[in-house]
Amino acid sequence: MSAVISTTDVCRFFGDEDETLVKAVDHVSIEIERGEFTAIVGPSGSGKTTLLHLIGGLDNPTSGSVHLSGTNIAAMTGTALSDFRRDHIGFIFQAYNLIPVFSAEENIEYIMLLQGVDAAERKQRVAEMLQQVGLEGLADRRPNKLSGGQQQRVAIARAMVSHPEIILADEPTANLDSKTGISLLDLMKELNERHNMTFVFSTHDEKIMNRASRLIHMQDGKIELDEKK
Amino acid sequence: MQTVSLAFRNLFRNTRRTVLTVMLIGFSLTALIAFDGIMRGMITLMVENITGTLTGEAQIHLAGYRENLDVDLYIDNANEIEEQLQQDASLQAYAPRVITGAMISSSYNVSAGLVYGVDAELEQGVSQVRDAVVSGEYLSGEDNELLIGISLAELLEVELGDRIVLTLSEVDNGELAQALFRVSGIIEFGLRELDESFTFINIAAARQVLGMTKQQTHEIALSFITPLNMANPNNALLDELNSGEIEALNWLDLNPDISLILELSRYSSLLIGAILFLLASLGVINSMFMSIYERIYEFGVIKAIGTRPEDIRKLILFEAFFIALISCAMGIALGIAIGAYTSTNGISFGGEIEFSGIALNNAILSEFHLIQFTQFPLYVVLLTVIAAIYPARFAGRIIPSDALHRSL
Repeated sequence: MSAVISTTDVCRFFGDEDETLVKAVDHVSIEIERGEFTAIVGPSGSGKTTLLHLIGGLDNPTSGSVHLSGTNIAAMTGTALSDFRRDHIGFIFQAYNLIPVFSAEENIEYIMLLQGVDAAERKQRVAEMLQQVGLEGLADRRPNKLSGGQQQRVAIARAMVSHPEIILADEPTANLDSKTGISLLDLMKELNERHNMTFVFSTHDEKIMNRASRLIHMQDGKIELDEKK
Repeated sequence: MQTVSLAFRNLFRNTRRTVLTVMLIGFSLTALIAFDGIMRGMITLMVENITGTLTGEAQIHLAGYRENLDVDLYIDNANEIEEQLQQDASLQAYAPRVITGAMISSSYNVSAGLVYGVDAELEQGVSQVRDAVVSGEYLSGEDNELLIGISLAELLEVELGDRIVLTLSEVDNGELAQALFRVSGIIEFGLRELDESFTFINIAAARQVLGMTKQQTHEIALSFITPLNMANPNNALLDELNSGEIEALNWLDLNPDISLILELSRYSSLLIGAILFLLASLGVINSMFMSIYERIYEFGVIKAIGTRPEDIRKLILFEAFFIALISCAMGIALGIAIGAYTSTNGISFGGEIEFSGIALNNAILSEFHLIQFTQFPLYVVLLTVIAAIYPARFAGRIIPSDALHRSL
């Protein structure tokens, strides 16, 4: 199998070269293959989110390289990087994922508008995604009229609707109760298996991390353990 | 299209801030429209008072006369000029005048002043001398009639029917001459200079005392069918009349100081507008930055999922554009309401005032002008969008990982 995500000695340091230097990610090299359902786990401050941001091209590494589908995104900037993220990566954040003035349908549709997908296809794909995440009938609701779990389902639909190769989720269940969180993870797992999309998510919730097929344990910016189930 | 829709909907996310920003810009536009209307009305009133009080819209003199009002510098062939004036279709009225300095004496006091010899009929077409009579009667053409300024009458302690002796120099030979008049009317222009030192007598009597013939005159005041205003102060007749000997000047050239004041008044709207919109622009920048900081996480999310920096800049600029449009609608509506009131009821000074030698004795009627409802709102939209460029650039440069830091 080919590696969809590959980081080589990637570092992200904050602060100056003195006692204020923080090594958020310190020489991390990982390879994640297509279709994997991977969890990056560790305590707060271990570097999970920073590593996800580096993989997603939301931040530039201090050193090292990040390859997504063979492209070194660490060397990309500006519009090229925005377009790459739009076409290759789906993001789910822990909360406030959605544009508040748009309905669920419009939030899902937004990324396809950025991609220039025609109206008929947009409508069809939005309907499909709403059905897959179990939100049929809630298309017209704005985020403030949806529960936290429903909002995260819309975020999943938005992340997947553009058919990206990789879905990155930063603690997607952090603001949900455990039952809703597990249900959301089960949905992500189901979609991962159905569409063979690569999912990488961060969490420190043991019930959630048990759903992953691979666990990358981080501590102080380094990989402490990489275990496949 | 999605950016436009998103920008419009974003206006209603924090309605209070949007309303306050709209009010700031809208009231600035209203203030500018109202101020410009009042300034235009004031200029019109000033011009009407300058040209209507005594000066007329233009005057004809012998070249050099205006420098020190030398009585010997009179127009010798005024009848030929008058014939030319009578044939000119653009002219509404003209009035010949004989003017001289004189010692004005009553039984109780004496004062230096100016004596205007005027044609009682023709003068009514170019000045407000008749309207300025506050007691007694206007000139009827009789030889010994005299109108006297109200302040001068008080100084000389004269009333209607009292005797006034004018002592003056005859033209050409400089011999002293005296003539007796009776006060037939007291006049009040509201201008200190005119009320303290001006007297008016019939032109025939004036010529007789000064030793002038019927064809000789010092000044011919003119008024035109289409008034010579600030925008259009010239007339072909004046160009025709101007020659080496004869000087025909419009009211702006006759009053260069007032012309400068009026010119400055015209630019005052520009100055006030610049100050108002500088302040409003700072308000827009502040409001847009507050809005951006409030949504910084959201900007991080939409940038993360692939929104380009230029799309975010467009979003902020469209938000500013919509705010400007709503502000213009409000500003224009209020501007029309205030303009309609002040153009009908006017702004009164609570009496008669004198400003830079011009009597303002009527209420200022605000004037509507197309520019107030086309160019001013256009400037508002442009300035608001320009003011939003800085916040838009800031939003475009937001780094997703920094904006999403709250999720760490």
